[in-house]
Amino acid sequence: MSVAFVAHCLLNQNSKTDGGARCPGVYSPAVEVLRAKGWRIEQMPCPELAFTGLNRFWAVREQYDTPAHRRHCQRLAAGVADAISLRAERGEDIVLIGIEGSPSMGVCVTSSDPLRGGRPEWPDGAPELTSGEGIFIEELRLELERRGIGFPRVAGMTHPLPGHDEEAEKASLGSVLDNG
Amino acid sequence: MDGDARSFRIALTADAYVNPPPGGVDGLAVLDEAGWGVMQLPDPAYPAEMTGRILADIAEQVQEFRRHGYDIVLVGQGGGITAALAEVGVPAPDQVIPANPAELRQFLGARPEPRVIRPGGRPG
Repeated sequence: MSVAFVAHCLLNQNSKTDGGARCPGVYSPAVEVLRAKGWRIEQMPCPELAFTGLNRFWAVREQYDTPAHRRHCQRLAAGVADAISLRAERGEDIVLIGIEGSPSMGVCVTSSDPLRGGRPEWPDGAPELTSGEGIFIEELRLELERRGIGFPRVAGMTHPLPGHDEEAEKASLGSVLDNG
Repeated sequence: MDGDARSFRIALTADAYVNPPPGGVDGLAVLDEAGWGVMQLPDPAYPAEMTGRILADIAEQVQEFRRHGYDIVLVGQGGGITAALAEVGVPAPDQVIPANPAELRQFLGARPEPRVIRPGGRPG
């Protein structure tokens, strides 16, 4: 069996920071590709929603990089790691699908600005995108390492990034799914 | 809506409606088409202890949505979610166990408009 562990918001855009929902509920392009290729879907929790709630501000990695938030992510990551471990033991093919640009769920691109804080006054388009993983993904990687389980291959949905191209996003996801 | 397209509607959805077996009801497709967000309930094959932890995490998130007035429903067998919700003081959501896509569409179509207050006091 092939299983995709997907970022929470791919099935539930209601979890997004206010102003960030691209569609009413399910982000269909990701589901279309997974369904077309016969992949099972497993939704991961949204670490930001459970910690800072629906009224949270848009934030960068540094604002979430606190011991308390790391402990929260570790708790949630342990639950995901339980499911990944169980499926890995069965020899199932596993892919992790994150959200590029996210301070929590980025797999190749996250957001960073060490100076951000206080009353939110930064201009739109501030150059916050940077290479790297979000904090939840980082904690999941560490948890899987502790258990001696290899980190799954990853796909990053690019719709939050400037210059997003939906067809390219779908093709890239399809390519990751096919490369098992 | 300030460019934010969310529906304020979320279905706690049994795994069998997210990953339907052959001949099963593709609940995810119906919920997508109707503009509902999905919170997937754990695979019933998972060990009980693991399921309990996942359900507790889901219940915490549902509590936050409820606090803001989002509409929450349960699609399929809850597998312990109503008990997990009760632990955090959230009443059992209205439930449907659809035998076909039309039943699910009808149930969703009959839901009242959610009464949401968004950040800044804006209505949903």
